Formats: sequence, C-alpha cells, structure tokens
Amino acid sequence: MKATSEEVQTRVKKLFEDGSIAHFIGYETGSDSLRVTPCFLKSGQAASLLVWNPLCANNLSKYLLDFKNVEGKVGIMVKGCDSRSVVELLKENQIDRDKVFIVGVPCSGIVDREKLLEVLGVSPGEVVAVEDDGGAFLVTLKKGKKRVDKEKVLRGECLVCKYPTPVVYDVLLGEAISSLPWVGDDYSLIKEQEALSSEEKTLYWNRELSRCIRCYACRNICPVCTCPECIFDKKAPRWLTKANDVSENLFYHLVRAFHVAGKCIDCGECERACPMNIPLRSLNKKVEKDLLELFDYTAGIDVEQQPPLTTYKVGDLDDFL
Amino acid sequence: MEKPEMNENIYLPRMATIQSMRPETIDVTTFRVTIDGSGGTGKFEYKSGQFAEVSVLGVGEAPIAITSSPTRPGTIEFGIRRVGELTNALHELQPMDEIGIRGPFGNFFPLEEMEGQNLLIIGGGIGLSPLRSVILNVFDNRAKYGKIDIIYGARSPQDLVFTSEYEEWQAVANTRLHLTVDRGDEEWKGNVGLVPTFLREINPSPENTTSITCGPPIMIKFVIEALNELGFSSEHIITTLERRMKCGVGKCGRCNIGSKYVCLDGPVFTLKQLEEMPSD
Amino acid sequence: MASQTKSRIIEKNNLTKLLDKLAHDYYLIAPVRDNNVSFRRVDSGNEVTLDYINTVLSPKSAFFPQTETLFRFSRDDSRGLGIEQDDEPDREQVIFGIRSCDARSLRLMDMVFNGQYKDSYYMNRREKTTLIGLACFEAAETCFCPTFGIDPASGEDVDILFSDIGDRYLVEPSTEKGAALLDRFAEFFAELRGDEEQLREARKAGLAGMKKLDVSNIADKMAPLYGGDYWESIGMKCLGCGICTYLCPTCHCFDIADVSMDEGGERFRCWDSCMFPEFTLMASGENPRPNRKARVQQRFFHKLKYFHDRNGELACVGCGRCIKYCPVNIDIAQIIEDVTSGKAGNE
Repeated sequence: MKATSEEVQTRVKKLFEDGSIAHFIGYETGSDSLRVTPCFLKSGQAASLLVWNPLCANNLSKYLLDFKNVEGKVGIMVKGCDSRSVVELLKENQIDRDKVFIVGVPCSGIVDREKLLEVLGVSPGEVVAVEDDGGAFLVTLKKGKKRVDKEKVLRGECLVCKYPTPVVYDVLLGEAISSLPWVGDDYSLIKEQEALSSEEKTLYWNRELSRCIRCYACRNICPVCTCPECIFDKKAPRWLTKANDVSENLFYHLVRAFHVAGKCIDCGECERACPMNIPLRSLNKKVEKDLLELFDYTAGIDVEQQPPLTTYKVGDLDDFL
Repeated sequence: MEKPEMNENIYLPRMATIQSMRPETIDVTTFRVTIDGSGGTGKFEYKSGQFAEVSVLGVGEAPIAITSSPTRPGTIEFGIRRVGELTNALHELQPMDEIGIRGPFGNFFPLEEMEGQNLLIIGGGIGLSPLRSVILNVFDNRAKYGKIDIIYGARSPQDLVFTSEYEEWQAVANTRLHLTVDRGDEEWKGNVGLVPTFLREINPSPENTTSITCGPPIMIKFVIEALNELGFSSEHIITTLERRMKCGVGKCGRCNIGSKYVCLDGPVFTLKQLEEMPSD
Repeated sequence: MASQTKSRIIEKNNLTKLLDKLAHDYYLIAPVRDNNVSFRRVDSGNEVTLDYINTVLSPKSAFFPQTETLFRFSRDDSRGLGIEQDDEPDREQVIFGIRSCDARSLRLMDMVFNGQYKDSYYMNRREKTTLIGLACFEAAETCFCPTFGIDPASGEDVDILFSDIGDRYLVEPSTEKGAALLDRFAEFFAELRGDEEQLREARKAGLAGMKKLDVSNIADKMAPLYGGDYWESIGMKCLGCGICTYLCPTCHCFDIADVSMDEGGERFRCWDSCMFPEFTLMASGENPRPNRKARVQQRFFHKLKYFHDRNGELACVGCGRCIKYCPVNIDIAQIIEDVTSGKAGNE
C-alpha cells in the first residue's frame, strides 16, 4: 500500500520531536489542485502541510546542496528516482551521509499534468484531487470521479522506471514495490533515434533546440548539476554568450549532457521544467544507454560504485589514442 | 538634468583616442583621451560625478567614473583599475589606441549648492578617482568654497593614486591633504590606520561643511557612521555608488537599488536619499 | 473605442485570405502551433492558429528580440576598428492575435524604452507595428488580468480588435493606424448586421469568475515586507532559472556583450535575468544580491513596487505565464494575496 499524506505528516512530526532532524524538505499543495510545491520545514509544527500523492513530481534532492553548511540534520522525502540522485550526490561527496535523513516513499508513477487534462478533457479548475489506485489513477472532479489508466497519463520517465522503490533510505513509508508492470524496454525510443541517419538527427535536434530560450531551468533543476560556478556562466574563458542561436543552444545542451554523464538517473525534471517542450530526456537517455553498453554502468544504485568517466582502470578502451 | 549631446542611438559609442596612460599603481592607470574628429572633447559636456560607458570594441563595456574636471577642457580622464575582463583589456592598450565612449551618464555632485561651504572629501583606494573631478573643479573655483580637507587612504603606500599631484593640491590655499595607509612600510612617514579611524582622529567640525565620500562599500559604511557621530546631517553627507552596469541609461534593469537606478538617479546620492532606499 | 461606423465584420472564411494578404504586404507575426503555440513570422494565413488561450512566449520579442545586434565593427588596417551601425529592419510589422494582457504590457515596456533616453531599436519597431488584438472569451486558470484593470475582451491597447462572436469576427479599430489598415483592406470586410454587441455579450459570459485580486495600494503594502522571512521561503524553492523573466511580457532586463573575430565583430544585446546569480555581480567580487532570497525579493518588489514608484503602474499584467511554467510553482497571484491579506508579514 502506498503511504498516505497523514502517515508522512505523523512520521515527520516524530522525527522533529525526537531530534532526528532539524530541517525537512517535502511537498505541499501548490497553487491549484494539480500542483505541488517544495515545502521546507524547520519544525514539526507545520508538518500537516506535507502531502504525498501522484502529483509529487519534483526531485527534491537538488535542495540538499543548500543544506551542506547549515547546522543540523536535514530530512528529505525521496521517491525511487530521487533516491538515485541522492546516491550520486553522496558518491561525489556533495553531502555527507550522516547529514541526511532519508525518508523513502515507494512510488508507482507520477501524473503528467498536461496528459491528464487532455485525456480527461477537463480544465485544471475542475479537478479536486488525484489518488493512486493500483494500475490507475482515481481523479476526483468537481462533478464526480474518474479512473484513468496509468499508462495513458504517466510522466515519460515513469513509463520506463526500473527503480520504483528508493535504493537508499533511513525509513521507508509504504510497501516496497519490486517492479512496475508497464515497464518494458526503456531504450525503445532511443533505439528509434539511433536508427536515424546523421542528416535526420541533425535536422531533428536543430529543430527541437531552435525553441530553446536558454532559461537554464534544465540545468538549475537537475540534482546532479552541482558545480558552484557553471562553465556556461564563466566570463573567462567565455564559452558561451547569452545570445540565443541554434549553434550555441546545441553546444550548451550537448556539453551539459556530457557533464552529467554517469550521474544522470533520468528523473525527468529537465524535461518537466522546460517551458518549450524540448525532449531533453532523450539526450541524456542516449548517454545513459552508451554508458551501460560500454562500461556496464548504471548510475545511482550503489554509493561505492566508481563512476566510469572519472575512474581509470587498466583495461579501459584506448583505441582512440 | 539636461540631456547630454550624444548620438541619436544611445548605444552607439563615440570613438576616442588615448593620448596618454599614466600608471598610478600596479593596477591603476589614469587614461587621458580625446574624442575623435573633434580635436578635444567634442561636446562631451560633463559635470563632476558623472561617468561614461567605456569600451574596447570586441571585448566589452564598463562604467568608469570621469576623473578629470570640466573646468580643464581639452581631454577627458579616467582612473581605471585593472579588475575584470574589460579593464584588463584597457590596460593592454597603448597611447594612440582607440576606445569607445558613451555618455556622460548619471547625475553629478551638487557643486553649486556647496558654494560658500567647507568641504570634507574622504576617499579610499580607487574611490579617489571620481572625487578628483570634484577636487580639481573646486580648486579651479577656489574662491567659491571655504576650507577644504581631503582625507585619503589606501591599503599600502604603493596603492595610493594620483600621488604625482599631491604636492600641487597641498599648495592650494586653505587646503589640507591628510593621507593614511592601512599598512605602512619602512619609508612611509605618514599616518597608519583605516580611513574611518583616521577621520575620527582628525575630528573635523560639521559646521557649514559638506562631506563627500567614495571608496569600497565597507569603507563608505564606516565613514558615514563616523560622520554621523561627528554631527554631520544626512543632507550634508554625499556619496557616489558603484554597481554593475550595462546600458548606463536605466533600461537594462541591472543597477537598481529599490526604485532608483544608480545610472540615472545616481551614482551620486546624499545620505538622506540612501536612507530611503532599501539596503540592497 | 472608435465610432461604430468604422467597425466592421469579417466572415470566418475570409480571415485566412485577409491574413494571406497581410503576410504579403507586411511582416506578419501571428500565433503558430508547433509543439506549443508561439508568435512567429508567417507567410500565409494557413500557418496561423487561433485555437489557443495564450502563447508560451509573449510577443515582446517582436520589439525587444532575445538577441539583437546593436552595431558591427570591422578591422581596417589603416585606422583600426570602424563602427558600422546595423541597418534597422525597415519593415512594417503587423502582429495578429495579441491578447489584452500582452497589449497592455507593451504600454508598460514603452515606459522603459522611451523616456529620458529613447531606445531607438525598440521604439522604431514599435512605431512601425500595427497591433491586431484577439479578444479573449475564455481564460486559463492562471489568468488574472482583471486585477490590473485589463479587460480581456477590449481593444484598449491595440490598433484593431478582432472578436470571435460565433459565425464571424467583429472588427473594431481603436486608433487611426488601425482604421487606416482596415480601409486599406476594405474588400475583406463587410457591414455590421446589428446583433454584434448582443453576440459579444453572450460570449463574454465565458469570462465570468475570472480571478480579480485586490492590488489597491500594494506598492505601499510591500514596503514593510522588505528583508522579511517571507522572501526566504520563496527563495528556498526558487531554482534561479530564467523561466519567469523570459516568459514575462514586462521583463526588460538585458545584457550587452561583444563578440569579435579577426576581421571585426559586433556588439549585441540579449535578454538577461535578475534571477541569475551573476546578474549584479561586480568585477570586484561584490554582489549586492548574493542569494536567492535577495533576488526573489527583487523580482516581486520590482513588479509590485519599484516600477510603480517610478512609473505609476504595476508591472504585472496577469498573463499567468510565470505561474503556469514555474517548475516549483512560485505563484505571483498567491504572493499578491499573501501581501494584501497580511500573511506575508506574519511569516
């Protein structure tokens, strides 16, 4: 059974009371019925604000970086995907393991807001709540309830999720989920793109990236983009100006995909944040696939596992030398 | 404030030629320039306290305080410290090289209102640069002002700027130059101590005196505190602020402190005005 | 509103032909659906979509493009660098399909780009553009333009207003410029039939219940909140990206930079965002807004106070884009309510 919001609230309140945590990062209801927003607590007093439901898309692990030098342990709510980016942050020593109290919540899928509205044919004002109901979502509308098949309205990253249960946690709220029934070959879309010719790929990416407005939301929301000074903000050497043209956009996205290679765990936040509907996940997913094939490496599973691009092994490929 | 004569296109710089570069310290140089095609300053009419957007084409642009005085026409001078991309590029230039100038921008020191008063001019480091415009201006109209005290300090004797002019300044009637350094050396015979401390020791009277100060933000803060303690009122404490600027004309939105744009409503502000602004 | 005698109607099946002609005679910018709906230059009426509430990006790029060359310079052996001013695009523009919120935002932008120093790049485009508005009869849940005295179904800030009243469009000019354009293309329009007002009122029923917040004296209510903890909690959530500022129709912050190669280069300006950490970073290393709390505070103070202090108007038009697209759901409408109700002062 999935944990309820009340169970989360009770547990967090207790964690504050017994001194396990001095801060907590979770979710609270947003400004309309289909949105949640990050919630930062300094005490159990406002714990009743916390929610846990299929709208909780945000990967909160990015905010751990803000607590590095703050006194006291910080508690955080993580889904399966979020826990994997926590593993990556721990791997890089971005934060100490004993600084974080991880509240894991097994997750069987997050709703894509736009897909839901389209499938139901309603406007956000008509929706009251969305609950998890096994293989479907139960949507409470102002006028009645509707069941929607999960596969129709899940976020893209949930459709291929192999880790519905957090891989690292101090406490698990809700029953562990071993696998999600709809998950098949999570690289099917990538394989399609790989089959395209070089010209077709160029055309495709030039077209998609011509919409990029370089808001840097993808970079800022990404939990494994951790550089205090991003290379693209540097003045000397100035790798990029703020000018917007396809060539610069391509440069930015490709370089970023390489910089997070081996760290990206496909939480999908970059694509969710993008206001211009650019299919960013497929860039990172392709790199993820390559790393699996070349190094038999999967990010975000094991804190002790060495990242392939920053580790040297004697048997490493060097046929390009 | 009257609109200065400039290109119809406010973003188009006028080209200027560097006539001389006088090194002041290891990282500060005074540039003396003339506007091209004008044989002098070509209707670049400025007042003490204003700044120009100085550029090296291909590198960028930055706001630099004008350090010369409009009472000495013919050339325009900038005291430039090597601290970022653009200023580094400027320092690599040589006399007869060209730079771009936009401006003059900003407001100016209320010299007319200060006539008949004593002046207390307090500078720190490169902050003496905009103050020098006032100093020379006032020297050229000496009879209009009362006694002048200039308190100036830098980190070390090697960091003092415009040293070649001190003798000339000290020779002006009823004018005193008080120098101090944070850290002296074997040759330094003058005062050693921070500017705000030195200011308290000198203990100037606030009577009929206006004080103008410029320097690092932390120095300005402590100087203003000291001036308050010495009895100066907020209308008689004037400072000039620094911010990152780009357009210089109040459009790019970068240099605001609350509702004020430092490039339009400043950079010169009285303490009274600052007290009404947020502490950004 | 212009006198009724100048108002006309256009049959729905004539609209595409009108747009074709406009595209031929002018640089026509209209909403296009391509993954999402945005304003683009179109060559024919077929490319235009009218099935949208509002575009993702505001039409401010037609006047204040994201990247704009200010001037070029070239290296000449004899004299070093010579400047060539970039040729202003001397084209007459028509924007078709602009909503009331965006049209109002242009009046607010005018206050920035005009004034003591005239920004010739922006003003030139503004003067050469005719705005054809499209009345709203349906609002998104994020829309709240009535808050700022904006009527979604009126043509106050455009040159001509098109209103879809069912089987035809009511076409009303609001300015001389608009009337002149209608006269030029008179062949596409027809006389009013007499029931247009009635039909329009019926359509306006779709706007009932639109969010209208209380912003009376909000600039004064903001003042005591400066430095308060309320902005801390928002700053903690904020990612520091540029979505809100880039999508906002009244955001006008820009950067100026140079690029150069051996043979010369150019100085250009491009959008910048007060949400970026290095926005106010000085070369000395000082940064007056060194954390997200300070930057978030700056944004909302600018929109709801500073701009008002300078120009007498609030700098928000209630288009709701920032609310819809903020990945962490920072909501300016909610902030306005918190400020007005006093909740923001109690945190």
